[in-house]
Order: sequence, then structure tokens, then C-alpha cells
Amino acid sequence: MIGQSIVLAADVPFPPSVEDFYLPSILPWNEHNSYWFTKITALMWVSVAAIIIFFLVTYRKPQLVPTKKQWLAESIYGFVRNNIAVDMLGKRGVNFAPYLTSLFVFILLMNFWAIVPLAQISPNSHIAFPAILAVISYVMFIYVGMKHHGGLKYFKHALIPPAPWFILPLLIPIEFFSTFLVRPFSLAVRLFANMFAGHMLLLVFTLGGFAMLNANVWFAPFSIVSWAMTIALTFLEFLVICLQAYVFTVLTASYVQGALADEH
Amino acid sequence: MTGQEPPRKPSGDDDQPPPDTGMGMTAVAYLLSGMLVWGAIGWLVDHWVGTSGIFAGIGAVLGVGGGVYLIVRRLGA
Repeated sequence: MIGQSIVLAADVPFPPSVEDFYLPSILPWNEHNSYWFTKITALMWVSVAAIIIFFLVTYRKPQLVPTKKQWLAESIYGFVRNNIAVDMLGKRGVNFAPYLTSLFVFILLMNFWAIVPLAQISPNSHIAFPAILAVISYVMFIYVGMKHHGGLKYFKHALIPPAPWFILPLLIPIEFFSTFLVRPFSLAVRLFANMFAGHMLLLVFTLGGFAMLNANVWFAPFSIVSWAMTIALTFLEFLVICLQAYVFTVLTASYVQGALADEH
Repeated sequence: MTGQEPPRKPSGDDDQPPPDTGMGMTAVAYLLSGMLVWGAIGWLVDHWVGTSGIFAGIGAVLGVGGGVYLIVRRLGA
């Protein structure tokens, strides 16, 4: 087994770099200046298709006593609607539940590719995907706020906290920065960085095992430890995957909540 | 799914409520924003006046103060 591993390890690059996130083109196959369709793209479209098909199939003929699949779909939707949307937005949360559920399921599945054997990279480890999701949330909470408070009144509501006038010049720039600049940025970077770091971590421990074996056969026990760590970290990744999907959804709901809040 | 009645209580069904409803993030964002915004403004003043960092320091302290004030007003009440 060790001999086999050494053959495998012969061309293992170590340490892993950012280059490892840029996968070869699939269509056209192995092209070097056309990256319109890579594994990342494929995984994204598979996710989209899987979500659409799953919810269409499970809810095509709804039964009063739900089937297993219907129960699963209803549980997911019910979880986001009751525990995120209604909890944070009250009655109006129901209006946002479909979007929040789509967001949650999409991020969850996109993240989940990070630990699916053979896929083993999440599209969300490229910042483009979290960035677009963050932009959607950003535009949405501003739009919702403007619709609720009426145009510019929303910005007055968002930027001017209840405080005496002489302290306002100090507070308004902070409000502007934290509400309109930090929010989309942190939303995107939090998801991206978690998925990026997770993939990097798994790469380091997997390839590190090979690298040690490559350097000296007597390091084999350490390689085993390294690979055992990979398995342990995969479970940790699963936790991060679910947590980040949840956090993104909750924060989006919380931003909408802030936009809908009336003066207190 | 969509036709189903939502739970009566705003706290949802019998499940546990979410542990974090984004308030922690908002608080951290206020603190950091306060420091960054007024620190940066102070830094610009430093450049303009020619001092080597005193206004950036004052700005950062003022900014944290503003951030704490905002947290108390927006999240504490």
C-alpha cells in the first residue's frame, strides 16, 4: 500500500496554492484560454437543477398526510419560514419565506459540494458567487426599506439614529459605513472565506500526507495521522457548511428586519 | 407549503429559537465601522495638518465611542 502511495505521491504539488481553485476547462476540454465551463460552473448548474427538480417533484401532488419526500421539503421550508423568517420579521416574514428558503437551500447545496466525494470543491470558494448573492440581499433590503418608508425617507430612517443633534455628525458616517458599505462586503466575504479556507485546509492535510510520505518513507505514520485529520476536518466542514448557509440567511433576514423596522 | 398557516406565536413552532439573530454581527459592525470611519477621517486630517498620527488616534477613540453609543441606542432599547 505504501509503495502504491509513493507512486501516487510522485507528482503531488505541495503546498497547495490559489491556483488549485482554478480548475481546468471542461467545455472545450482542457482548453487553456477559455474558462466558460469548468467544474465550478457544472456544480452550480447541477445545484440549481437539483433544487428545482427536488421541490417540483416533492410538491407536485401534495398529500394531507405527507409522503417522505414531501415531508422533507416541507420541513426545510417550514424551518426557514418559522425559525428564520417569521421569528425575525413577524407576520411579514411569510412574504419573504420563499426567497429566504431558496437562498438557504441554494447556499447549503453549493457549500455541500465541498465534501461530496469527487466534487470536493464548493463554487462558493470563488468570491463571485457569494458576491452576487450578497448584492441580491443588499438590493433587496434597500428596496424593501424604500418601499416601506417611502423613497428617501428610508435613508433618513437608516442613517439618522435617535440621538441629540450635536452627536449626529459623529454617528451618521458610522451608520452609513456599517449599513451600506460593510454589510454586503461582510456578507460576501464571510461565506467566501469560510468555503475557501475549508477547501484549503482539506488540501493541506491530504496533500501534506503525500508530501511527507514522499520525503521519507518513515514518515508514513504521520501521513496516516494527516489523512485521519482530513476525515475529522471533513466533519468539521459539514458543520461550517450548514452554519454558513444558516448565517447568510439569518443575516439577510436581519437586514430586511432593519429596513422594515419603525421608529422606536 | 405556502398555503399552510404560519404559527400563531411569533417565536415559531416548538423548535428552539435561532441562537443568533444577527444582533452580534450588527454590534461588531458598529464598533469596527466607528473605528475605521473616524480613524480614516483622522488619518486624512493628519495628512492635511502634517501631524504623524495624533488625529487618527483621536478619531479611532471617538469612533469607538460613537459605535458604542449606536449599539446602545439601536440594539439596547
